[in-house]
Amino acid sequence: MALLELSDVQVFYDKIEALKGISLSVEAGRIATLVGANGAGKSTTLRAVSGLIHPRAGTIRYDGTTLAGRQPHEITAMGLVQVPEGRRIFGRLTVDENLAMGAFTRHDRRGIAEDRERLLQLFPRLRERLHQVAGTLSGGEQQMVATARALMARPSMLLMDEPSMGLAPMLVEQVFETIRAINADGVTILLVEQNALMALSIADHGYVLESGRIVLSGPGRDLLDDERVRHAYLG
Amino acid sequence: MSAGPLAIPSVAARRGAARMSAVSLALWTVRFLVVALVVAGTIGTILKDRYTTAQWFEFVLFGLTIGSLYAQVALGYTMVYGVLRLINFAHGDIMMCGAFAGYFVATPLENSGFLEVHPVLGMAAILAAGMVVSGVIAVLTERIAYRPFRRVQGFAPLICAFGVSFFLEQTFRGLFGSSVKSYPAPKWEGVEFHWAGLSVPGVDLLVIVLAVAFMAVLYLIVQKTRMGMAMRAVSEDGEAAALMGVDVGKVIVFTFALGGAMAGIAGVFYAFLFKQVYFYMGFTPGIKAFGGAVLGGIGSVPGAMLGGFFLGLVESVGPSLFLDGIGIKAPYELRDVIAYTLMILVLVFRPQGILGEHMAKKRA
Ligand SMILES: Nc1ncnc2c1ncn2[C@@H]1O[C@H](COP(=O)(O)OP(=O)(O)O)[C@@H](O)[C@H]1O
Ligand SMILES: [Mg+2]
Repeated sequence: MALLELSDVQVFYDKIEALKGISLSVEAGRIATLVGANGAGKSTTLRAVSGLIHPRAGTIRYDGTTLAGRQPHEITAMGLVQVPEGRRIFGRLTVDENLAMGAFTRHDRRGIAEDRERLLQLFPRLRERLHQVAGTLSGGEQQMVATARALMARPSMLLMDEPSMGLAPMLVEQVFETIRAINADGVTILLVEQNALMALSIADHGYVLESGRIVLSGPGRDLLDDERVRHAYLG
Repeated sequence: MSAGPLAIPSVAARRGAARMSAVSLALWTVRFLVVALVVAGTIGTILKDRYTTAQWFEFVLFGLTIGSLYAQVALGYTMVYGVLRLINFAHGDIMMCGAFAGYFVATPLENSGFLEVHPVLGMAAILAAGMVVSGVIAVLTERIAYRPFRRVQGFAPLICAFGVSFFLEQTFRGLFGSSVKSYPAPKWEGVEFHWAGLSVPGVDLLVIVLAVAFMAVLYLIVQKTRMGMAMRAVSEDGEAAALMGVDVGKVIVFTFALGGAMAGIAGVFYAFLFKQVYFYMGFTPGIKAFGGAVLGGIGSVPGAMLGGFFLGLVESVGPSLFLDGIGIKAPYELRDVIAYTLMILVLVFRPQGILGEHMAKKRA
């Protein structure tokens, strides 16, 4: 069953058509990826799903209900959580407060405390920096904060916008490992990446976006082997 | 590429550099002159030895008293700026609304003798009236005048804030007249404390202590509660906060209510200190509190408190300390000039204020 489904979604910034009617679906429990060059419309797609911008046409359905007219915080409360591009952690809040912000929609104190503990075990670096202002952390640590913060919401589905951006190659490996682990815990993932090679190699299904249109789609492995993809994105 | 087109930008660049250095030379001259003036004035005043210790103490105490009010009002400017990037020009008038509310409760309480017999209960009722009325009006202005502009960039929201300011002033003038109303003076407010040859008016002490207590409560709300944390998150990145499930609209309403209530308390105290209530009374303290917020770093909550107190102290101590010494005849008449000069200097030389970030670059 498709957990997230976009059909013919069109998004405009003033008169610029950023998404020219795209359709995609993400099966529950899977990893899907949306790859494409800078400016293709990847972030726009995720922003439309999260309700940060409103499509001019088309429908977005999550878990069987339409997201039309819903506000970002309502969509998050439905368990559909985004880790935005550039991480956007709260640099003047402490690491612990960032985690608490992630759990903002929840009210089960015990569950929140358990999840916090579990995530601090997953990211031991964050425990050392728990009461430090998050803006002082390194890029890799900030990515951990962003991921942990999103997981504090106990999402059913995560939208991740270029989580590997600006990280050293070794850390990039780690990020993809983490994504796989989160998915293994049952969280459905839509991963947006410019790093097509890595993204396609962990994804069950991939979509290639070019100037606001999906030009190719298929199982991640098949796309990796596709001549056109190899030519355009993998050098 | 030929040498021709390359030569043009380099000349322009050199000219630009020369102009820059002329400007910065001028700015440095200004800084130097200001510092020289303050130092010369201070030395002159000390040499003249015109003021007694008791008088200096009085200046400082009054500076802290008025500063505590600026600090309370400055909090509203800084918090609203934080969540909306809007300078709520009408915030001084929100303070005026609280002063009126306090006046309308204080007058019958005083006339009936209740305020004389039950100062604590009476003051609590007056303060509650100021808080509630200012808080509610602040929330209404947000709902009616600012919310439609939430996604609008540019000057329109600021212009609208000017409109709200005039609207509130003229409405209160229309409803309650343009005369200055005298605020009741209960007998117990004449109490003075004496200590080591210095006298401390009870009113000043009451205002400072209560203002600090209310600000401490506000600080705890901002630092320790869920809504306070959401407010700080929205101030930093509203979109990211929304993605975490924060209802940004609710946070904005909360911010206006909190800032408005604080301004209402300040309005009651202001009326209590100066014994005057009139429709235009919010303007000057509003501008000065805004100056305090800028001084502390707009967007910073501790900065607003610090900036407010600092501005109050400078305006109270400054005339005698810097101006008397350079031979100015009626230095106290110039206290507002000192306050505004300080604000301009901060904007020119340190726009990020004492604790804040750069006003223009905040979101970059
Ligand atoms: N706020 C905006 N205003 C106007 N145009 C925008 C805005 N954001 C993105 N765009 C344009 O929309 C297109 C898609 O952008 P985006 O979704 O950010 O691409 P990607 O994430 O794939 O790099 C680009 O051409 C970009 O210039
Ligand atoms: Mg992008």
